[in-house]
Amino acid sequence: MTPLSRRAFATVVLAASLAGCAGHDTDRGAAAHPTATPPPSRLSARAATAAPLGRSVPVGLRIPAIGVDTPVMQLGLAADGTVQVPPITAHDRAGWYRYSPTPGQVGPSVILAHVTVGAYGDGVFRHLADLRRGDRIETRLENGRTAEFTVESVRTVAKAHFPADQVYGDVDRSELRLITCGGARTGDGYLDNVIVFAALSATSP
Amino acid sequence: MRRTVLSTLALASTAVLASTMPAFADGRSPSPVPSSPATVDATPSAAPSAVASAAPRPVPSTAPTRAATPGQVSRVPNGAPDTGVTSASTSSGDESAVIGGAAAALALAGGTVLVVRRRRANGA
Repeated sequence: MTPLSRRAFATVVLAASLAGCAGHDTDRGAAAHPTATPPPSRLSARAATAAPLGRSVPVGLRIPAIGVDTPVMQLGLAADGTVQVPPITAHDRAGWYRYSPTPGQVGPSVILAHVTVGAYGDGVFRHLADLRRGDRIETRLENGRTAEFTVESVRTVAKAHFPADQVYGDVDRSELRLITCGGARTGDGYLDNVIVFAALSATSP
Repeated sequence: MRRTVLSTLALASTAVLASTMPAFADGRSPSPVPSSPATVDATPSAAPSAVASAAPRPVPSTAPTRAATPGQVSRVPNGAPDTGVTSASTSSGDESAVIGGAAAALALAGGTVLVVRRRRANGA
């Protein structure tokens, strides 16, 4: 290679790399809005494989992948309009939000539990963020039936931008939301929420 | 000479390519925007006059609209669930103890090094 051709080659390489940078900048600009993870199914997506169940309050929750097997209590609304949470006790449990559908009914059934319970240590949902797509969740219902859900996505979102529409919004099949806290700690709480989106995959008996 | 011309040509062509890519990206996004606001603006102008006289109040937030469908969430809670209580007092105490201990150890080590150096210097 002569010095001239080397210089020409270097010029072309420099120009190409500049062009590459420009392309990346454009992408970044387009992705400035929070698109993030795969959105939960909003009216459509994959159809659930199991037929929806009738109304029956959940009494138990089992998540084999993270070793959860807990009774389920009922939760309503607090005086300030926020959702009630289970009490802070040594053996805490999960709670079903009673204004949401029961697990197996059409709609988003919502179950909450603590990630940590202060001085008592780990909460029921301590390892909720470890769940992965395809993991099973079993809810035992008061009528003796079991609704089995399959995890579709796990999201960690800032509490300041809690996606109420995606969590509580209408859906056209039976779905489940498991919610706890996560992310960085702030004083006596957490900055984020961990939300598991799951869909009904089987029922028994 | 020919090489210089060739290299200039190559540079020019890459520059052209680089400038066309963002142009495509820009071209896609704006198209859907202008059409929808035009239609949205049209309805509110007619609605308020009719509503003001007859209907009591426009429905406020998004929450009540969901209640209409049976089986779905009937009352949407405010804000985010507070489902985690850290052992704030104990954990922060532990952390500050660890930090304090580390700082003390560092200071001690630094002091020791200084003393040893001085002694060596004096001894020599």
